[in-house]
Amino acid sequence: MIVFENVTKIYDPDVVGLQDFTCHIGKGEFVFLVGASGSGKSTLIKLVLKELEPGEGRLLVAGRNLGTLPRRKVPLLRRNIGCVFQDFKLLPNKTVYENVAYALEVVGEPRRSIRRKVPEILNLVGLGDKTNSLPHEISGGEQQRVSVARAFVNHPPLLLADEPTGNIDPETAVGIMQLLVRINRTGTTVLIATHDREMVNRMRRRVLQLDTGRLVRDERRGSYDQFPDEPEEGI
Amino acid sequence: MRLGFFLAEALGSLRRNWVMTMAAVITVFISTAILGLVLVTDSNLEQGATSLKNRVMIEVFIKDETTPQQQEAFESKVMAMPEVKEIRFVSKEEALDRFRESFGERITASLPINPLPASYEVYVKDADQVDIVAARFYDEPIVSHTPGTKDGVQYAAQTVRRMLGTIDLIEKGMWGATVLFSAAAILLISTTVRLSIFARRREVEIMRLVGATNWFIRWPFVFEGFITGLIGAVMGALSVYAANWALVNWLESSALDYLSLYKYPLWWEGSGWPLGLLPSLALLGGALGAVGSLVALRRYLRT
Repeated sequence: MIVFENVTKIYDPDVVGLQDFTCHIGKGEFVFLVGASGSGKSTLIKLVLKELEPGEGRLLVAGRNLGTLPRRKVPLLRRNIGCVFQDFKLLPNKTVYENVAYALEVVGEPRRSIRRKVPEILNLVGLGDKTNSLPHEISGGEQQRVSVARAFVNHPPLLLADEPTGNIDPETAVGIMQLLVRINRTGTTVLIATHDREMVNRMRRRVLQLDTGRLVRDERRGSYDQFPDEPEEGI
Repeated sequence: MRLGFFLAEALGSLRRNWVMTMAAVITVFISTAILGLVLVTDSNLEQGATSLKNRVMIEVFIKDETTPQQQEAFESKVMAMPEVKEIRFVSKEEALDRFRESFGERITASLPINPLPASYEVYVKDADQVDIVAARFYDEPIVSHTPGTKDGVQYAAQTVRRMLGTIDLIEKGMWGATVLFSAAAILLISTTVRLSIFARRREVEIMRLVGATNWFIRWPFVFEGFITGLIGAVMGALSVYAANWALVNWLESSALDYLSLYKYPLWWEGSGWPLGLLPSLALLGGALGAVGSLVALRRYLRT
């Protein structure tokens, strides 16, 4: 689904985003991306969305080479990638329903099927009764569920999440994570950048660890820290 | 294109951002009102100048003893001049009638004979040629000069020329003002639109992330700008028309009625040009709004 081959992204003047990063993420995988702030997690996600121009190396997403993908094809790429962000990124003036429907309007979905699909997905994320609320009228956890619903309503083959649980309390976070797992079970590849140690340790999925732009660990059933049994150094 | 969706988006955001909308509408309103005033004033001046030019006329007084043959010869000679638009004969009787109209029955009634000479009114095509044409008449044998002068040929040379010069100057000034105000209007409108889009740059960013194409994002903004511009311009056009209309009515009923102001048509009047105040300004306002939106959006739609 995603193939990185020696990808290097240096920001001006010489801040390292990603350094010689090579990694394959297969179809239907569920992958955590961990690492300290500034280690390159966000750079990686932005590269996959082609929010950033790729640097050196080769990056393939769903068979497309992002280095040669023309600018006008970027919207098409993004329609195949669902996105969930720490700050939800909901359109503030649109209701819950309209926010989710927007992702379908964008791809030219017929009105009839929009009216069918949106309530369906909102029920799935447990927001069937909030369809007409505006984002600021609901809680953070609910907003994040709206953004998950929006990301998934198109059934994209790939779903990216940048700190999806960063702004919500731990219990709600579990709900969000369960949603992402359910989405993963439908065959969608899920890539989550996170700081949520407890969550990563509990789920035991593939973990990629980044440190100043380099891949330092790739474990099949990994935990948040490299040596989870060692006591953490004094805080 | 999903016209319904885009229109609904545009109207919705006009309603939500009504403060910004009001600001933009008022900006367009003021700008187009100023432009409209320039337009109306300019076309009035144009009309004034034209009517003045049409009135540039040379009076040629002829001797009482001129024979009809001489008259005919003179007429055909004048008509052959390329500068001459029209020649009219004013007989002694007609001259007396005019005199009577101006000064009253009592004076003319006491006259034993008609002392007024017959004359020709020669109209020239171009007011600038009046000197050349008039000079040709001085030595005509039929012209009646007071001995020692050339008063048999008369025309309002100085006054007319000065007035035309003034009007020409004002017209040039108006064109300068039009250019200046258009530039100011474009700047004002684009600043307003840019502000309103800046306030919504996050929305644009989100739309892009969800996979909206640039035109999918643009259309609602274009409609929004168009509608805003249209409303403001229609308001501007209507108020200019109302002011023009009120002024004309007031002038007609006052002592200044000789000014014969021109009522600029509000609507297209079939002659092709002018298009009329409302259609031309409305089109201009709408286009300005739409283009303003496009330009303001540009920096948020890169990459």
